Amino acid sequence: MIPFLLRRALQAIPTLLLASLLIFFVISLAPGDFLTPAKLNPNISPEQIANLERSFGLDRPVWQQYLLWLGNMLRGDFGLSFQYQQPVLGVIWPRIVNSLWLVLLILVIFYAVSIPLGVFGAVRQNSLGDKSVNVVLYFLLGFPSFFIALIALYFIVQARFATGLDIPIGGMRSENFAELSPFRQALDVAKHLIVPALILAITDAAGLTRVIRGQMLEVMRSDYIRTARAKGVSERTAIWKHTFRNAILPIVAGIGGTLPGLIGGAGFIEVVFAYPGITPMLLNAINTQDLYLIAGFTMITTVLLIIGNAISDILLAVVDPRVSVS
Amino acid sequence: MKRAMFVALAMTLGSAVAAPFVYPAAWTAEQNTANKRGGEFRNYTISDFKSINPFTDAEATSIPGTMEAGAGLFIQDPRNDELIPYMADGAPTVSNGGRRFVVKIRPGMKFSDGQPITADDWITTYRIHTDDKVGSNSYDNFFLNKKPITVKKIDNSTLQFDFPQQSAKALVLMSYTPWPDHIFGAAYRSGGAEAVKKLWTLGTPANQVVSPGMWTLESYQAGERTVLKKNPYWGEWNKDSRGQALPYLDRYSYRVTTDLNAALAAYLAGQIDTFGPRNADDLAQIKRAIDGGNLKATLTPNVSPQAQSQWITFNWNKASDPDKQRLFRDVRFRRAMSHIANRQAMVQLALGGLGSENYYSVYPIFKNYISDAAPKYRYDLAQATRLLSQIGYTKKNAQGYLVNGAGKVLEFNLATNAGNTVREQLGRIFADEARKVGVKVNFTPIDFNNLVGQLTAKGENRPFDAILLGLSGGDNIWPFGQNVTPCGTNLHSYNNPTSGACLTPQESLMTKLYYQGDATLNVAQRRAIGAQLLKAEAELQPVVYLVGGNYHVTYNERLGGEYSREMMDAYYGARNIALTFIK
Repeated sequence: MIPFLLRRALQAIPTLLLASLLIFFVISLAPGDFLTPAKLNPNISPEQIANLERSFGLDRPVWQQYLLWLGNMLRGDFGLSFQYQQPVLGVIWPRIVNSLWLVLLILVIFYAVSIPLGVFGAVRQNSLGDKSVNVVLYFLLGFPSFFIALIALYFIVQARFATGLDIPIGGMRSENFAELSPFRQALDVAKHLIVPALILAITDAAGLTRVIRGQMLEVMRSDYIRTARAKGVSERTAIWKHTFRNAILPIVAGIGGTLPGLIGGAGFIEVVFAYPGITPMLLNAINTQDLYLIAGFTMITTVLLIIGNAISDILLAVVDPRVSVS
Repeated sequence: MKRAMFVALAMTLGSAVAAPFVYPAAWTAEQNTANKRGGEFRNYTISDFKSINPFTDAEATSIPGTMEAGAGLFIQDPRNDELIPYMADGAPTVSNGGRRFVVKIRPGMKFSDGQPITADDWITTYRIHTDDKVGSNSYDNFFLNKKPITVKKIDNSTLQFDFPQQSAKALVLMSYTPWPDHIFGAAYRSGGAEAVKKLWTLGTPANQVVSPGMWTLESYQAGERTVLKKNPYWGEWNKDSRGQALPYLDRYSYRVTTDLNAALAAYLAGQIDTFGPRNADDLAQIKRAIDGGNLKATLTPNVSPQAQSQWITFNWNKASDPDKQRLFRDVRFRRAMSHIANRQAMVQLALGGLGSENYYSVYPIFKNYISDAAPKYRYDLAQATRLLSQIGYTKKNAQGYLVNGAGKVLEFNLATNAGNTVREQLGRIFADEARKVGVKVNFTPIDFNNLVGQLTAKGENRPFDAILLGLSGGDNIWPFGQNVTPCGTNLHSYNNPTSGACLTPQESLMTKLYYQGDATLNVAQRRAIGAQLLKAEAELQPVVYLVGGNYHVTYNERLGGEYSREMMDAYYGARNIALTFIK
């Protein structure tokens, strides 16, 4: 186990170095910089823009900017965000935490929906239930989630009009949040999370349901399941213990990818529901060419991707005795 | 003890003699006669707050910007655009040929932490803004024509401003917000610019933030909500016309909604108190909600034009293509292009009928500077054809495009920033109309940063033919752009050679009139100069102004104290927040 982790850590060094190089130079390839919009402001003089360029280090050649950034990063400093004028980590962290709550809830719903439905689809293949589930999920899969979110937003407003119920429209907390008891606070956040989480989890579930269904079908046809059934194990054991455990191996292998996804936030859903997660901030950073904020965030996600892959290798070894990490 | 008694006595006397600023009753259409107090004005912002520090802040809607409301030596009266003494105790004493202003500060003003506001606060604020290591966005406000403005303290309650030249905007430039010397001055003296930049970050506890204005920070939640509460000391020197302390409200809050549809939904659901409708669709949804009885709100569409315009500029510096350069420098060509611009169609199609035609660099909202003497080259394809034939484009080729004697097609490239759907539509309408008279316009939306790079390029051979873009910002005191009108400035977009020299006598005249008007204190004289400048600019037609959007007002019925309809516009807004109350 320890040698495995050490080997992974060593392999990560060139990967990260290359990633940092790519990230920085790809961002720098884009025309203009953070100060470009300021040049169109009739109230800012060219002298002042030159001043700001100097203080942001934008007047230096890109390779110098890169080396400086890399050097600082090795000391744990991801640089200053141009827009916020404060350390990148300080800007990103509160939003990562917010996104984490939302994405964790999404994951729970996602698995809670797709695993039973996938298994159900395989066990009752081509039944009316299987077909109707497929139709609904495919329908949802066909629409982009932000579009469904906009429709949901419309219906929430209509529902509020019709019933007068206080259904939250966006945000993460109610206005009177500070006055609530801790239990009510948790409830309040959950109330704000549930609609965006449901929308994203269910629209995403279609894909995984298909995968699980297909995997289950394949495993169910294999010899050892037939043998198990012939030996007289119960249907329940045959499905959940023998079939399901083998069917989810490819899914476990993919779990590593969810870790960067966790801090990467829930995408446009966050924008549409005005949720204070990572995506609205990152989109804004890309729009304004806030170099260090984008680069810093991408680096953190890359590190997490590497860690996530290691975790999923370990998990795979736990689930599948044929695989060993050492 | 005796000393303490004396100080206490002096302070009571001090605040007793301090004459408060009284908000004119005419500044609100609806008096707060029921004496309602408290409550929260719930606003929204489309981008997350980036800073609390007033010296590093550069956002349109910002936390320091909100705290600045109700702080400044002079304020503009929305009834007549006049600047009246506010934190100043009276009109300034002007000497030295209109370049020296000595101002007494209103006694009895305090910061939100109870410390008195004195001349030192203005001096410190001035020092920090003008330190280029701080990178303040207000840096340029302390320079005129690259020469510094100086601010001196005469005594604790008297300030002296020395301007390098006379300026119409002197009172505006003097009206910057004083930030506390006991916080920023102390940091600046010990640690310089770096220490100032480290103060008041988003992680600073709200109770450490001190404001001179109406509001001070209560809480900040990243990307989510920011609440400001009233500064209790502000009410000591700000009274309504019946002598009661202002503001009436307890709180002013912002909800961050990156997506405007989410903001609209929150407004329709009654969770925020105001919304800036963008288009006919927004207006229709709000109207439907009001008519259906689901939203109790007031909706006033088309209150005024926005303080913005969209325009097309032609590049006069194209050494690589002498034919095009000659064409773009020909005033008849540019007037023809103005005749081609179907502004009515642009308003109808691109702005959904909710816009205003523009003919000048001065936005139509600044009515006092729009004069009838300046010509308008209105939509008229026959006129355009006539002007183009005068330049030598009399024949059309097989494709229907005008050609000159040498058989060269009359064509040019027009670029705008991709992603701006309104500008993309304006460009298409322009290109379609141009096609009708036989001008080939190759319209291409390109990346914004590339576009700005092209527009602000200097030299004899700049990299574009024509650009469709927009500008906003400015004031109604001298509404011509300091970076736009004079030759050699960076947004003098049509002619920007390396030397920065003017090319035509009209340009030289415009530059002269710009500085002359900027240095004229008398309002009537300045407006007369403005009229001459507007006429020179309109005749030269260096930039073809197209259209601008309109400003619409809607607010929840729970709010009272808005301006009367005639006083509302995109420049002054819909209300003075100090006089706003919850019904």
